[in-house]
Amino acid sequence: MRRDYIVCEKEIEFKVNGATYKTRVYPWDTLLDTLREKLHLTGTKKSCEEGECGACTVILDGKAVCSCLVLAIETNGHEITTIEGLAVESNFHPIQDAFVDNGGVQCGFCTPGMIMSSKALLDEKPSANEDDIKDAIGGNFCRCTGYVKIIESIKAAQAISRR
Amino acid sequence: MGDFLVIGKRLPRVDAGGKVTGNAIYLADLSVSGMLHGRILRSPHPHAKVLSVDISSARRLPGVRAVITGEDTHGIRLWKRPSGEKPPLAEEKVRFVGEEVAAVAADSEDIAEEACNLIEVKYEELPAIFDPIEGVKPGAVNIHEKGNIHISKSYGDVDRAFRESDYILEDRFETQAQQPCCLEPKGCIAHVDQLGHLTLWGMSQILHPYRQMLADALALPLTKVRVIQLTLGGSFGERMFMDSMPVIAYFLSKQAGRPVRIIDRGNESFVAGRMRYPMVIDIKTGVKKDGTLLARQVKVIADAGAYDNSCSVCVHGIGTKCTYLWGVPNVKYDGEVVFTNKTYGSNVRGFGNPQITFAIESQMDMIAERLNMDIRDLCLKNANYEGQIICMGSKITSCGQKECLEKAVEAIDWREKRKKPGNRGVGMASFMHTGGGIRGMAGGDCNFSDVFIKMNQDGTIDLSSGAVEMGQGTDTMLAQIAAEELGIRTEDVNLVTGDTSTTPMCLGAAACRETFIAGNAVRIAAGEMKRKLLEVASKVLGASLDNLVAEGSKVYVKGNADKSVSIARLATECYNKGEIIAGRKCYDDPTRPAMHGGAPTYGFGTHAIEVEVDKETARVKVLNCVAAHDVGKAINPMIVEGQIEGGVVQGLGYALSECLVWEKGVIKNPNLQDYKALYSNDIPPIIPIIVESNDCIGPYGAKGVAEMGAIPTAAAIANAIYDAVGVRIKSLPITPEKILKALEQKKTR
Repeated sequence: MRRDYIVCEKEIEFKVNGATYKTRVYPWDTLLDTLREKLHLTGTKKSCEEGECGACTVILDGKAVCSCLVLAIETNGHEITTIEGLAVESNFHPIQDAFVDNGGVQCGFCTPGMIMSSKALLDEKPSANEDDIKDAIGGNFCRCTGYVKIIESIKAAQAISRR
Repeated sequence: MGDFLVIGKRLPRVDAGGKVTGNAIYLADLSVSGMLHGRILRSPHPHAKVLSVDISSARRLPGVRAVITGEDTHGIRLWKRPSGEKPPLAEEKVRFVGEEVAAVAADSEDIAEEACNLIEVKYEELPAIFDPIEGVKPGAVNIHEKGNIHISKSYGDVDRAFRESDYILEDRFETQAQQPCCLEPKGCIAHVDQLGHLTLWGMSQILHPYRQMLADALALPLTKVRVIQLTLGGSFGERMFMDSMPVIAYFLSKQAGRPVRIIDRGNESFVAGRMRYPMVIDIKTGVKKDGTLLARQVKVIADAGAYDNSCSVCVHGIGTKCTYLWGVPNVKYDGEVVFTNKTYGSNVRGFGNPQITFAIESQMDMIAERLNMDIRDLCLKNANYEGQIICMGSKITSCGQKECLEKAVEAIDWREKRKKPGNRGVGMASFMHTGGGIRGMAGGDCNFSDVFIKMNQDGTIDLSSGAVEMGQGTDTMLAQIAAEELGIRTEDVNLVTGDTSTTPMCLGAAACRETFIAGNAVRIAAGEMKRKLLEVASKVLGASLDNLVAEGSKVYVKGNADKSVSIARLATECYNKGEIIAGRKCYDDPTRPAMHGGAPTYGFGTHAIEVEVDKETARVKVLNCVAAHDVGKAINPMIVEGQIEGGVVQGLGYALSECLVWEKGVIKNPNLQDYKALYSNDIPPIIPIIVESNDCIGPYGAKGVAEMGAIPTAAAIANAIYDAVGVRIKSLPITPEKILKALEQKKTR
């Protein structure tokens, strides 16, 4: 029973969206639950909890990861970006603008994960081609859009960034 | 029709900003003060008597605040059906693996889960039935006392028409269980206060009828039931009719005296999700030598699963859907709703139409071959047309079917690619589907939306509507129509939605109705406001009413743009005099009092698809997918395209890979990977083509589009595979195994 294991709670310190947080976590707490419940960053979505849907994608040290598959304790000393970290006040990141302008959003539940996967790709490879884009979001499930306008949005974001 | 300022423009969705920043609040993002966490104990057996449920150990676990069983909810039924009504928690027996047996609310999800594990349930297993074909045989296992449900319909004189036919084709088609795969896990928060008032943060695409279902189940007056709908992460029909979860949450909250949240975890959305109904369809069609369709007899055996959430409604609807595409005049229909010990199904995008269209359009391809005609010519010969009265009595008010067909075959390069050697092929399939709801869909003889709009003192507006946004773009549609009428920007429209306490009645998002019905309501209500606004402006500007134009957030005198007054100033002046500019319209579809089950308008379209079938592995590669849709008028072409593309991809999964697999009542593939839903690397090029037939009743000519993309895709794929390698696969999904087997059989023949 988990309450018996209170002794194994550990304090971690990590950087999320540029700010340093200290929080206590159990060894089994996922990064996803920690972000959502301890840091109240609910933009990162929780769905399949087994790394199949990509809704919980965040950027950990520059790489897109499913935060449901990362233990919070592993992120001690690491740097994380979530969807909340992209816009600067009301100025959207180019990928966010592109998703808005190109119909990349429908129900919106996959959107934060899609945008984080796209950002990790474009940060590493600004001139990514369509296959790169499809691969980068290859683990992000979307039931609404058929992916067409998401892919168009990511291409449009590349064009905005080039300007 | 003149030029529009806002209508027909590719404007960003009004809800996009919240969704790209993580600001949009979905159910799991909301936390209510004092909230407990609920978990549901589910049946491990497909069919069993419940002998006893011992909750004593669960109750003793520290942190547990409420435990309920079928005794607490005894006698409650979730919906009214001829047979197959469901209790929220199992009473005498369980009927599927995953059925709700007991539930716990605790301080944390972990404690609730642990308490569920401490509940001891004694079962006595009963013989179970999994195959609906077995279920219709005499002496089959009885799952419900009242048995299966039979529905029949008849139009014209089928026997005579078959006698007059030159050819008669009889075929059996089979369709599988498709999971809607909403990305957001299903959930709700229920809070019952000490006065017995229920607030439910729920998930339903039909907000107001859902409140009624909840009130009916709980025997509460509507004044004690408030339903709040937050941002909805997909629904596709699945989250339309109520299931057990909100009723369970209600009883947990009542017992605990605190709000209770339940959210599906892990594979629960599969195990307790609601599938598209699998069907076995026998279709017999009589045709003249010249291609005229004379008669059709259809027998459907539909697998409802363990309960009739909406299977009888769906099977009833297929009785009309099998008549209207290509306007077959003589039809006999028999539908059987068969219960099996499996997860029960519900409404899923297209509601019966993807199933019956797979049968009809596959067979049309076979008829064309028999007559030595091109399917294109066969379809054009039987095409529906504007003004046609279809055999159930509804009138087609606009029809772009021929144009869709011609544009689709042109875009796929039909002439060059059809019936060519090699392992590539092209196929087409069309559809017809309601474009404006169905009279009687939510009970009652109605199909309406009520909207209320008020102008704020700064010239912006608050638009209250009970229509539900679930990703399909309704909110943006409402905003664009209001903005067009009033000459303001969509940014100046504040949508007040998703709360039964603050929004006017609406039957919600179902049967492609919101654009047509709620859109018309907004157009008329905003038009009424505009008249009032112009009356005020005419006094200020000293000009006659018919000389005024509202545009660019101003009212100005025609031909003299300098002589103008801002809408903001007009609104402020009215406000200061205590005269609020407001508009309200309850729009009911104008076909009233046409027959129950009729639609006020219909959408049409054709998908043309090119495939390549690998000679050795029979793997189907979709090379190109054209989807031409008559949407009346695209209020926002970008959103319309998104609906078509998303529907096509859902249809491709239905055609080629998606299928729930049960073994002795247990779903063996309850996750996205094993279920084989499509990801970005699986999609072919998709070309959406928008055809605008300008419906004479629809707002600006518009009609519904959201369900259509999923309807004809499977038949178009099947027909393309036949064109490529000459084998006809009549069961979905069309897997390489089925193609290989058919190819072998073809060789040995």
